[in-house]
This record gives sequence, C-alpha cells and structure tokens, in this order.
Amino acid sequence: MTVILAVCVAVTVAVAMYLLLSRELKGIAMGVFLIGHSANLVILAMSRSPVITTAEGSKSLKLPPILGYGEDAADPLSNMVDPLPQALILTAIVISFGVMGFLLALIVVTGRVTGTLDLEDFDDNPEGVDPERQAFSARWNAPIPDPTLNNPHPSARASGRPEEIATP
Amino acid sequence: MIPDLSNLIVLYCLVPLFAGLLSVALVNHQWPSRILGVISFATLFLGAVSTLCAIVPGQDILVSQMGGWAAPYGITLVFDSFSGMLIAAAAAVSLGAYIHSFSTLQPKVERRYFHPLIQMLIFGVNLSFLTGDLFNLFVAFEIMLMASYALLCLGASDQQLRHAYKYVLLNILASTVFLMGAGMVYGMLGTLNIADMARIVAEAQANGESLPVGFTAIGVLFLFVFGLKGAFFPLWFWLPDTYWTVPIAIGGLFGGLLTKVGVYTIARLFPLVFAQAPPIGVEASDMRVLIMALIAASAAFTMFLAVLGAVSQHHIRRILSIHVISQVGYMVFGIAVMTGQALAGCAFYMIQHMVVKCSLFLCCGLMEKHSGTDDLDKLGSLLKRDKWLGVLFFVAAMSLVGLPPLSGFFGKMVIIQSGWSAGLWWLAIIGLLTGALTLLSMLKIWSYGFWNPGPSPEAEPAAVVRSSNHFAYIGTVMLVTMALFLGFGAPVAYEAAFVAGEQLYNPTAYVEAVLGDGRLGDIAWSDTMDQPTVTPTENLALRTAP
Repeated sequence: MTVILAVCVAVTVAVAMYLLLSRELKGIAMGVFLIGHSANLVILAMSRSPVITTAEGSKSLKLPPILGYGEDAADPLSNMVDPLPQALILTAIVISFGVMGFLLALIVVTGRVTGTLDLEDFDDNPEGVDPERQAFSARWNAPIPDPTLNNPHPSARASGRPEEIATP
Repeated sequence: MIPDLSNLIVLYCLVPLFAGLLSVALVNHQWPSRILGVISFATLFLGAVSTLCAIVPGQDILVSQMGGWAAPYGITLVFDSFSGMLIAAAAAVSLGAYIHSFSTLQPKVERRYFHPLIQMLIFGVNLSFLTGDLFNLFVAFEIMLMASYALLCLGASDQQLRHAYKYVLLNILASTVFLMGAGMVYGMLGTLNIADMARIVAEAQANGESLPVGFTAIGVLFLFVFGLKGAFFPLWFWLPDTYWTVPIAIGGLFGGLLTKVGVYTIARLFPLVFAQAPPIGVEASDMRVLIMALIAASAAFTMFLAVLGAVSQHHIRRILSIHVISQVGYMVFGIAVMTGQALAGCAFYMIQHMVVKCSLFLCCGLMEKHSGTDDLDKLGSLLKRDKWLGVLFFVAAMSLVGLPPLSGFFGKMVIIQSGWSAGLWWLAIIGLLTGALTLLSMLKIWSYGFWNPGPSPEAEPAAVVRSSNHFAYIGTVMLVTMALFLGFGAPVAYEAAFVAGEQLYNPTAYVEAVLGDGRLGDIAWSDTMDQPTVTPTENLALRTAP
C-alpha cells in the first residue's frame, strides 16, 4: 500500500514540476494544485500501511481511530489507523484551497492589467507593448455585454440586472 | 517560571488577530482603523518589552499549552528570550512602517483591506516566533505568506503583478516541501513537537543508537525551505525582484520582517534538532558536519555576492532590497559558528537589522517624496532641501554599515569575533570585506542623493513636502531613535541576546520547560567546539570503571 502511495507521489510531483515550469500561468496554477495534493499523499503515506496481516496470513484493513472500538491497549496503533496525519491533511487541504483561490484571482487580475498570461512576455519595459497584447488587454477589460438588451422575452428582462452588468 | 504570565503569551497572537477582524468591519473608516492598528502594535511592543524585562534576569521560559493538552500532544506556545526579542522588534518595525504609511500610501490602496492584511501578517509572524510545534509553524507560515502575497499585490500595478509571481510561486513551492518534511518528521520520530524531537534525537545520540534513515535528508530539506524563506545564497532570486515594486511602507515592513522569520526558524530548529551538539562523550555525527558546512558556505556566498549585487545597482530601492540578503548572510554566519556567543550575536543582529533596514526603507520613501524618483542619476542636493532627512538617513545607513557607536557594530563584532575564534577565519574575512562594500554602497546613495549638486528635482517646495508628510517623518524618526538606542543602549539589549544565545545553544532549559521537568533524564548538551572530543569507547570505559 505504501509503495502504491509512493508511486502516486512520484508521478504527481513529476507532473506538477513539469506544469510549474511551463510558460502559461494557467499551467502553473494547475501545477500548484497538483503539488499540494502530492504533499497530502506524502503525509498519508507517513501513517504507515492501513493493511494488517494476521498470524494466519489473512489480511484486513485497520480499524477507524475511535475509542473503545477494538483498540489494543498495549499497542493501539497495531490495529488502528493513526488519526494524526489525516488531521494534518485536513488542515493542509484547507490551506491549499486558500492559496489556490488567491493564485487564480491573481492570474485573472494579471491578465486584465498586463494583457498577457504568458511569462515570456513579462519583460521590464511595458512601454513597447505589441498590439496583440494591447488587444488582449482590451478584450479582458471590455465591459461585459448585457444579455438582456437583445432579448425580447420579458422574463429575461425581469431576471437580469442591467445596471450592475453594464458597469463591471 | 512566572505562572501569571505564561498563559498571557497567547495574547501576542490574539491581539493582532482581533484587531485585524475588527478593522475588516472598519474598512471604510480611515481614522478608526488607523488608531486601532496603532493601539494593537503599541500593545504588542510594550507587552513584549515588559515581558522580556520580567523573564530575562531569571532566564525563565514561558510556556503555554493550548487547551491544557500536555506537550507532545497539544500545541505549545513558547516565549523565551529569543522569540521575545523578535516579537518586540517586529512590533516596533510594524508600528513605524504603519505610521509611515498614513502619509505615503495611496487612499485607494489603503481602502483595499490594507489594515486587516497588515494585522494578519503580524499575527502570522508572531505565531511563528512563538510556536513550539512543527505543523503549527507551517500554519503560521501560511497565514503570514497569504497576507504578504495580498500586500505584495495591493494596488495591482503592472510591475507589481508581473514580479509577484516569483515570490508567490517560490514560496508556495517551499511551503509544500515544508509540509512534506513535517509529515516525514512525524512518520520518522512520531512527534511534531520541536522540544520532543530534540529529546528523541539527544537520547538516541546518548545511547549510541543511530537516527532513522533519512534524518539528514530531512535536515537538508528544512534547510532548503527556510533558506528560501530567509533568502540564503542559492535561493534568493525572488527577493530583489519583488521588494522594490511594493509601496514603500509595505516594502520597509517586508524588508524588516519576512526574511527574519526564515532565519529565526533555522536558529531555532537546527541547534535544537537537526545540527544538535551531541551529548557529552559522543562524537559529532556526519550529519552535523555536513549541515554545518552547508550553512557556512551559504553564509559566505550570501554575504559577498549580495553585497556585490547591491554595489552594482543604481536605484535606492533595489540597493536596499539586495542589502537585505547580504545582511541575512551575517545572521547565517552566526548560526554557522553555533556557539552560545555567536548565536547571541545573531539574535542581536537580527533585531537591530529589522529596525535599521525598515528605517532605511522609510527614509527612501521620504527621499522619493522630495524628488519623485529613486533613481540615483536623477537625485541630488537633497541635503539642501531637507537636512534632517539627511541626518536620519546617515544615522540609519551607518548603523547598517556598523560604524562603532551605532548598533550594527555590536552585532557584527560578536559574530565575527566568535567566528574567528571558532576557526572560521575565512568567513570572518569575508564578513569584514562585506562590511567595507556595504559602506561603499551606502556612501553611493549618500553622495549621489544628498551631496551631488545634480539635477535639481522638479518637486514641490521642501516645506510643503515636509508638512504634508509629517506621519512619514514620525514613523522614520521613531525607528531611527530605536536604532540609536540599540547602539548606545547595547548592553541592555545584549543582556537579552546573551540569554537567548545560551538558551539556543544549550537547549536543556527549553526542552524541560516544554516537556516538563524530568523528561530529559540526565542527558546534557556539550560544547564540541571547545572540549576535547571523547570517543564513545573511552566513555564506555569510564562508565564501567568503579
């Protein structure tokens, strides 16, 4: 079981590193997402194998970590899952969600302000911007078209809020 | 132990947390949120200083077990002399930069949750100074980093956004590696409490048992993580590219605070766990030799290459940003020597550098207000415009360089002296050379900005700038006064620093304070630098003899 986890970690870290080294910011965001998951898998692997082998050779899963639920007083961890790594993973997942949300918002704002999502275009002299980049920026910053304007159906007019949509 | 104080240390986290939450509610009210922030930082500063005065004479360590769970299982907050000094310096720096921001930060930027974010930054910083638990340290880092990412992009200017990615992505990567490392430590040692880790490692060394396979690898992994956060030699690219883009008050705060958290963690974890001085009668392990060599080499490169980079720059903000790295090299030098005296020098250098570097950034903000740019070619004759700004800058710059009566001297002196006597003479020479180059780059700013007749800046009259920026002056004067105090009142600050160095170097008191007396057995940390090494076999013979 631990070996399977180790292979999973290796694959996800490799893919994440490939994505992190890409030029596109969207690819980088996916890399950050994946590498957070691989860190969680590492912690899970640290709680040792969840499979126990009895003296007869039959295999069974470890018990959930609940008091009075078949624990062995001498060595509770012998037949119960170690709960701490899972608690750590829970915290780490929440934190990586926060980081991910921030990163995606940052990418959206960067696209609007700089007019590109390609790291190669991030040079120090924004004065000599090429027209393609300006067009991209203009597309990003264009006001969102009001869907109710061309829709003759009265229910669409009632549900849409044109005064908010027209001024993004 | 002072019982009535030990549970109050949680206030160093709760005060900024609640101030931050309250200022979210006050976000549209400028002055109430400013006053709230000032109250919060002043409370932290006064509280930390008075607690330090209470615990330093008796070398006490305040420990608070969260929720009453005893040490290896619960989260522990530890307030010893080292973390106390850093909390006090962090509060002072943030107060100065915060007051400075009242007149230099654009109102548009200030309304975008500047006040809550800065409180959350201090919350994360204080929590990482206080915590005695590896996973909680990760959480504290993330709180601090999230706030710093948001502060870094505050205002969302083109340059800020394009340079933010280096900082954000490298720190996310480092945090992930830190998380993996923390998980591996748990799998290896079965604990996440730093003091408990120290106990396990010391017991294994004293009993002659080998540490788990891969323990050295985890040590190097942590060196990578904290080296990246602290901007050590091979890992510092993100810093000079990002710090100059942010508004100057935030830049001063970052330059003063953020790298010190990484250095603090190395100074806390490595003498205690990963590069622990072995117990008496045990030879230094290969691990200790390897990690110490890595830290020493990193210190040399960090100091020297960064100062060369600073000399080559021509914008004040960039010079100051790269100098942050160079001074981190001195602190790492102190850790690399790893004697009680060197660690004390490192602690003193850290607090003085926080104050001095932040005040230099704030002076740079005022210079920009006077001339509209930080390009040295376009600056000139600032001494005629505002001679008091010249005095402020000169005092701060000479404190950074380390001219004798000022604060930088005492930190450098102790570190270089102890490095020399510990046999790291080459590192000491590089340190002295770096000091000379630091002087060169500071004189460059001084002569171009203040003395050069140069192009007279087309800004408003000096009196107008002065009267419309009096908060910026108040903040700068506060920090420069504090830097002067650290120079002329060095014995007072040194008392705390020496207690901190001794406690870092000989962590018996720390471990016993966290785990409770008697858990450590009769293991005592030894001084491998000074004592003749006794091989384990000789030690065994001594034990069996009647």
